Amino acid sequence: MRRRSKKIFRVLRELIRIRLQNLMMFRLGFFGPFLVDGTLFAVQLMVFRAIYSNVDRIGTWKEGEMILFIGTFSLINAVSMVVCFFGLQQIPEKIKKGELDLYLTKPVNPLFRITFEKMNPGSIPLVIMSLCIIGYGIYLMEITPGAGQVLHYLFWVVVMMVLYYDMMVLIRCVCFYLVTNARLEQLEDAALDLCMKLPGIAFYGIWRIIFCLILPYGLMATLPVQCMNGEMKWQRALAGIAITAVFTGLTLFVWKNGVKHYNSAGS
Amino acid sequence: MNIVETQNLTKTYRRFVKPEGLSGSIRNLWKREYEEKSAVRNFDFALKEGEFIGLIGPNGAGKTTLTKMLTGIIAPTSGKISVMGFYPNDLKNEFKRQYAVVMGQKSQLFFELTTNDTMRLFKEIYELDEKEFRETKEYFTELFDVRELMDVQVRTLSLGERMKMELIVALLHNPRILFLDEPSIGLDAIASNQIRKFLKQVNQERGTTIILTSHYMEDISTLCERSVVIHHGCKVYDGRTEELFARYQKNKKITACFSREISPGESLPMAEIVEKTPHKLVFIVPKEAACAALAAIMPWNPTDIAVEEDEIGTVVERIYQEGSRYED
Repeated sequence: MRRRSKKIFRVLRELIRIRLQNLMMFRLGFFGPFLVDGTLFAVQLMVFRAIYSNVDRIGTWKEGEMILFIGTFSLINAVSMVVCFFGLQQIPEKIKKGELDLYLTKPVNPLFRITFEKMNPGSIPLVIMSLCIIGYGIYLMEITPGAGQVLHYLFWVVVMMVLYYDMMVLIRCVCFYLVTNARLEQLEDAALDLCMKLPGIAFYGIWRIIFCLILPYGLMATLPVQCMNGEMKWQRALAGIAITAVFTGLTLFVWKNGVKHYNSAGS
Repeated sequence: MNIVETQNLTKTYRRFVKPEGLSGSIRNLWKREYEEKSAVRNFDFALKEGEFIGLIGPNGAGKTTLTKMLTGIIAPTSGKISVMGFYPNDLKNEFKRQYAVVMGQKSQLFFELTTNDTMRLFKEIYELDEKEFRETKEYFTELFDVRELMDVQVRTLSLGERMKMELIVALLHNPRILFLDEPSIGLDAIASNQIRKFLKQVNQERGTTIILTSHYMEDISTLCERSVVIHHGCKVYDGRTEELFARYQKNKKITACFSREISPGESLPMAEIVEKTPHKLVFIVPKEAACAALAAIMPWNPTDIAVEEDEIGTVVERIYQEGSRYED
């Protein structure tokens, strides 16, 4: 077990090094994303500002909670952009073109390698800006969270990051079975776009089922905020963990089964 | 002890058959028809450790599918398969640590970085200790004579240099089996020759078992003692490469030059004349009639004579035609 963890750490360290060296081969390619991602984030903030300057309350949430919600969702999104987004984005292409062959023949988990192969430090400013917004949201909520509450919040952020990762992998693994997943990626974009603006507490009935159980983006920033504003009940916590566990199990199953179904591509 | 063994190995793909035209497409929305295509059929095969074997076959014969099943990339539809005692498609790390695969059309190098950078990642993936890593790297860098290219961006290397790097990276962990799928594709004659020389050395000095898939008969005839010919997914020949070529090398090509004008007329009845100028004659005869043909032209006092084997392309064509007949 210890040897395995050591190997995982070493391969990860080497993947990070390789990626950084790769990015640094082109100076504009290295510094450009900092500027581009920062600008995109500023545009996103302006949109939020325009929406929430007209609405100061959604359900039981006031402006502070909504700002914390936006910051939390941005943080989950930004961390995934830094760590795994660009790697996972390539899964459909690798399946279709048979490029997965070279990953399957190496003694390291192919999903692990793909996940960390295209890390993107250009999105680090997004992480920093998200943290600033989270701080501002907490300030508006007029609370001073203790260390325990911060850890509790961070725990939920990590759990929701896992759920976010699961969804990304699941949607891309469809290419093991179908020719394309383009429509599903469009659905993912639309659901993300909606759920980044509306917290889970705004969904009722069938919409709650869709955005909490089928495309669980509605949970992602909502649960961490609820743990910060005291709305988190044990049933909700249990449901959040159960949903993440189910999606993680499903992701692992679909990936493994997909690899078994993989037919590569003609030579 | 066999390092690779297959019994009745079969890989079948299901493919969609679309009737012609728009109406066919509309019908297909509700009811689809599929046909089964066997890429590899009832393939029996065994390989001993240290062998250097060639897989020959035309496009779509099933060579690459077979290699992919042996490396675990794809799962067989039926039959038995064992490579170093493992079922390849279980994709166990202990199994993957013991072989390497080089595909001529798929690179495992990071194009924007150097070969040294890629090797560092592979060192960690294969858990090589620093000493072993340095020694192996040193050995292959010397063998391939590429010391000055190790710190050069991969995308600036020529195709031949890149293939050498692919081989070094693949051999870094001293695999027991090396699968090579079209390693000399697109290479010029000099680069191909170098690669062949290195592969022979790796097989002899390190005892690495090599399974080579190639369209280039030069590769097969110079490297592989044993050849397996595949056609439409079936094995049509498995034996010594020399015998294979002897069996299908049916003619000799004779070129003769003369100081005076000659007119062969009826004196070469079995020959097919392919080129005739006043002072030069090129003709093809069945190999058993070659001596008689040479005796027939001697009275004309040739100034030079060359006797060549059948062109390799012609031999290959015959092998594949034989394969088709076997199919029928």
